[in-house]
Amino acid sequence: MDFSWPENYTQYRAEVIAFAKETLNDDLVERDQAGLFSRQLWQKCADFGILGLAAPKQYGGKEEEVDLLFSMLAMEGFGYGCKDNGLSLGLNAQMWTVQIPIAHFGSDAQKEKYLTAFTSGQWIAAHALTEPNAGSDIFSMETLAEKTEGGYVLNGKKHLITLAPEADVALVFANINPKLGKWGVTAFLVDKGTPGFTALPTDSKMGLRTVPIGAFEFKDCFIPTENRLGGEGAGFSILNYSLEYDRCCILASQLGAMERQLEETIAFVKERQQFGQSIGKFQSVSNRIADMKLRLETSRLLLYKVAWLKRNGKSALMEAALLKLQLSESFVASSMDAIRSRGGIGFLTATEVERDMRDAVGGVLYAGTSDIQRSIIARLLGL
Amino acid sequence: MNDIIIDYIKQQLLSGQVDIDLSPEEDLLGSGLIDSLGMIQLLAFIEEKFEVKVPPQDMTIENFMTVEAIGNYLERLKTA
Ligand SMILES: Cc1cc2nc3c(=O)[nH]c(=O)nc-3n(C[C@H](O)[C@H](O)[C@H](O)COP(=O)(O)OP(=O)(O)OC[C@H]3O[C@@H](n4cnc5c(N)ncnc54)[C@H](O)[C@@H]3O)c2cc1C
Repeated sequence: MDFSWPENYTQYRAEVIAFAKETLNDDLVERDQAGLFSRQLWQKCADFGILGLAAPKQYGGKEEEVDLLFSMLAMEGFGYGCKDNGLSLGLNAQMWTVQIPIAHFGSDAQKEKYLTAFTSGQWIAAHALTEPNAGSDIFSMETLAEKTEGGYVLNGKKHLITLAPEADVALVFANINPKLGKWGVTAFLVDKGTPGFTALPTDSKMGLRTVPIGAFEFKDCFIPTENRLGGEGAGFSILNYSLEYDRCCILASQLGAMERQLEETIAFVKERQQFGQSIGKFQSVSNRIADMKLRLETSRLLLYKVAWLKRNGKSALMEAALLKLQLSESFVASSMDAIRSRGGIGFLTATEVERDMRDAVGGVLYAGTSDIQRSIIARLLGL
Repeated sequence: MNDIIIDYIKQQLLSGQVDIDLSPEEDLLGSGLIDSLGMIQLLAFIEEKFEVKVPPQDMTIENFMTVEAIGNYLERLKTA
């Protein structure tokens, strides 16, 4: 077993950290409070090559083919350097749940049209799966794609969609025949401006406020066959394929954020004096720091294991569920510990500690709630 | 091959309900016998047991509707 990284991987991670620290953290308190998404910062990330971590070189990608371990480590660095967890979620959502499926299942024309525009920052994309009546039970989705001359007619609604209000394109999942259940789920690339396709206004939310979330409505929306991604019924396979990429890389950025959070908390408790000594000398405080470190490192081991399994073409069902559960819950718990360790000022917005707590809650909900991860683990254990 | 798959489905996916009569022609999907997690588990089992890699685009209803269809698909995959 070898836990070391090739030098070019760590070198690039260092470059990503330096870029993120220098470019992405200004005015964050204000942007968070106002719930502002910055297309300018998005563009800077595209120019740096972040979006290219999830596309082949031919379409603006960083490497000839996507190297999951390389991208994961880079996105970990991104989460460490960039304090804007909303921006990080938005980028990761587009990269792993839209770009990767197109790179794998798309026709050459689709790759050329969409991937190039996504990696360059010209277009933004959303992944539209969840519906008001179908969340955890996603294959009971009600959005229908009725086959017609030259394409399909979509009717239905998607909600809780990251980037929906900003999206130029949506990767939408709809059922062509509800009797087939999951095998009827089919994916479509829907361009902004398509008649019958509407993005509803941004929903306000507790955290991740710098990335907009919203809903899409489809009313007799005609989508030509050439905009179908993969075959009829390929939706199940597409979702399954992108899920593990999604988990590795979205969570990698959260791991980076947890590392930054731990370092800042250690620096604070060393510096802050009460009763004539550093508060870090009080065991109640240092125990919390030890717990934060343990959560960070156990999450890291699971993350690297999932990425390694995927890179070696192995199934990572159990490990991905353990990872999602452990890492997302750890971020919530450690964010709370980071606040406690600051005392009262941890509660103030200007300290920039409470924002991580609000952001972390999103992670235990999206991409399968913690309850769902536990039930997957239990099922795989034969219960 | 079919017997190995049927045995796995009964033992692992149907919680050891060995007395269930599952024929190779039984519609696994329409009958709701196997849910989405079960299907992903079955896929992982098949890949490991028969030392094959099922490309994501082959995960279709035609290839996975029945145990017989899975068996035929695997035969084609191995000879391809
Ligand atoms: C910040 C954020 C970003 C998101 N981005 C996207 C996106 O880009 N695209 C997209 O399609 N969706 C997105 N979602 C939606 C997200 O995937 C869903 O919220 C999630 O899958 C849960 O579905 P639900 O909200 O309908 O909750 P429900 O499924 O209704 O669950 C409600 C509660 O019941 C529990 N529950 C449900 N079923 C079970 C079960 N079988 N066993 C045990 N407990 C169960 C859940 O754990 C939860 O506690 C996002 C959500 C958030 C918070």
